[in-house]
Formats: sequence, structure tokens, C-alpha cells
Amino acid sequence: MDNQWFFLAANVVVWGGIIYYVYTIRQRNRALEKDLELLKETLSKEG
Amino acid sequence: MMMNPDAVEENQEEGNILVWLTGLAFLAAMVAIFIYVPTEQTEGVVQRVMYFHVPSAWLSFFAFFIVFICSILFLWKKEREWDIYAHASAEIGVIFCSLVLITGPIWARPIWGAWWVWDARLTSTLILWIIYVAYLMLRTQSDAGSMRARYAAVLGIVGFLNIPFIHFSVLWWRTFHPPPKVITNEGIGKGMDPTMLATLGISLCAFTLLYFLLMGVRVRQEKLKDEIDRLKREKLYSA
Repeated sequence: MDNQWFFLAANVVVWGGIIYYVYTIRQRNRALEKDLELLKETLSKEG
Repeated sequence: MMMNPDAVEENQEEGNILVWLTGLAFLAAMVAIFIYVPTEQTEGVVQRVMYFHVPSAWLSFFAFFIVFICSILFLWKKEREWDIYAHASAEIGVIFCSLVLITGPIWARPIWGAWWVWDARLTSTLILWIIYVAYLMLRTQSDAGSMRARYAAVLGIVGFLNIPFIHFSVLWWRTFHPPPKVITNEGIGKGMDPTMLATLGISLCAFTLLYFLLMGVRVRQEKLKDEIDRLKREKLYSA
């Protein structure tokens, strides 16, 4: 049966999905780190 | 909820070990899927989609089970920690349930000749996905606080009740979806070729490790977010 393109598509979907989710987690991490740095800066200026 | 620096360091070390374990497990799974396992005679290469589809389904059901348990614990103990676990697990569950709903039709098109049929298994899985997407929407749309967490916990518990129905749907009704092959009346793994069973087992392990890895990261993230919010509030009140 010549259906390897469907298998390739499934691979692209699964790996694409996992990589995209990890990417969004990293983006959220960066935003949180930025927030934390900003907060530290503000606190050290006041302290 | 204060974060202990020693505990954070220890968690990071455990996280690194888990990253390596997950990476190795996926490498082994890829070797098994692409090289080791033989091609199924009637379905051809596309049958290998099952080594992604079934573990994704397992992972999403397991994630929703954790939502169910943590939601009960949150309603009972009223501790924010359980709400964080439930939220993180629901997010991972929705991602992998989406993969199930996409890889299933990719397999079905060449085998059934249709992308989608409204049979009991497919429809109930779609309903499960909609419930937990609603759960995540509820968390982002409504105001923060314990009421939001309580509503979400109730939805998280109700949503899980659909999973036994999904599992038994292929046995209770005549469906297009294939019946269970791993756990059958003849015994565990009797309905499958041993190499296929081993490949599925490796893939299941890899996906399960990935779940714990993602959970660890998401839980740490939510706790850090809480900590930042707490510091912001403290600063606001001290000003």
C-alpha cells in the first residue's frame, strides 16, 4: 500500500505539535524571567 | 507559597535527568518505529501512525486523570498547589488530545476512505477535547481567584467521567474504530505481534516520560508566576 505520505504527515503533526508546545513554554518562561528581573530592579532601587 | 532556593536547585537536577531519559526513550522509540518494527501486511506503512496515536491518547487520558484527582484534592483541601497541578495537566492533556484527533483521521483516510466518521469513539473523544478546551478557556476568561479555580475543578471532574465511556464505546457499540489490541479477553498483549507490542511499549514509555517532564516545567512556571504576583501585591500594599 502506497500510503507513506500519510505516515509522514502524522510525523510532521506530532513533532510539530510537541515542538510548538515546548516553544510556547519557553516563551512564557522568558516573559516570567523578564517580569522577575523588572521586579528585582524596582525593589533594589527602592531598597 | 514561598520557593526554597535549595529545592529549586534539586528540582533542576531532577529535571535534567528527566530530559536525558525522555530524549533517550524517544530515540529508542524512533529506532523501533522506523527500523525495528515490521510493516503491517494489510495497512502498510500508515499503520505505524498507531505508535504515535495510541501513546498520545494514553498520555491525554492520563493527564485528564491527574486533573480529576487534583481537582478533587483542591475542592477537598482548598490548597492552591492542587489547582496548579490540575491546570498544568489539563493543558498537556488538551495538546495531546488534539494530536489524537489529528493523527486518527490521517490514519483513517487511507484505511477507511474517510477522514472522519461520527462513531461513538471518535465523537466521545471530540467531546472530551471540547470539555477540556472549555476548562482552559474558563481559566483564562474568568477573574482570577478561588471561585475560578472551584468552577474549573468541577469541570475537570465532570470531564473525566467521559473517559470510561470512550474506552468502552468500542465494546458497547459497533464502531469503525478498531477494538483494543493490548488488553483483550485473551490477555495482555495477546492480540498483537510481539515486536509491535514492544514498539508500542517503548513509545508509551517515551510519551509518559514526556508528560512528567512537561508537568515539571509547567508546575514550576505556575509557582514562579504566583511568586511574582505575590511580590507585586506586597510592593503595591507597602507603597
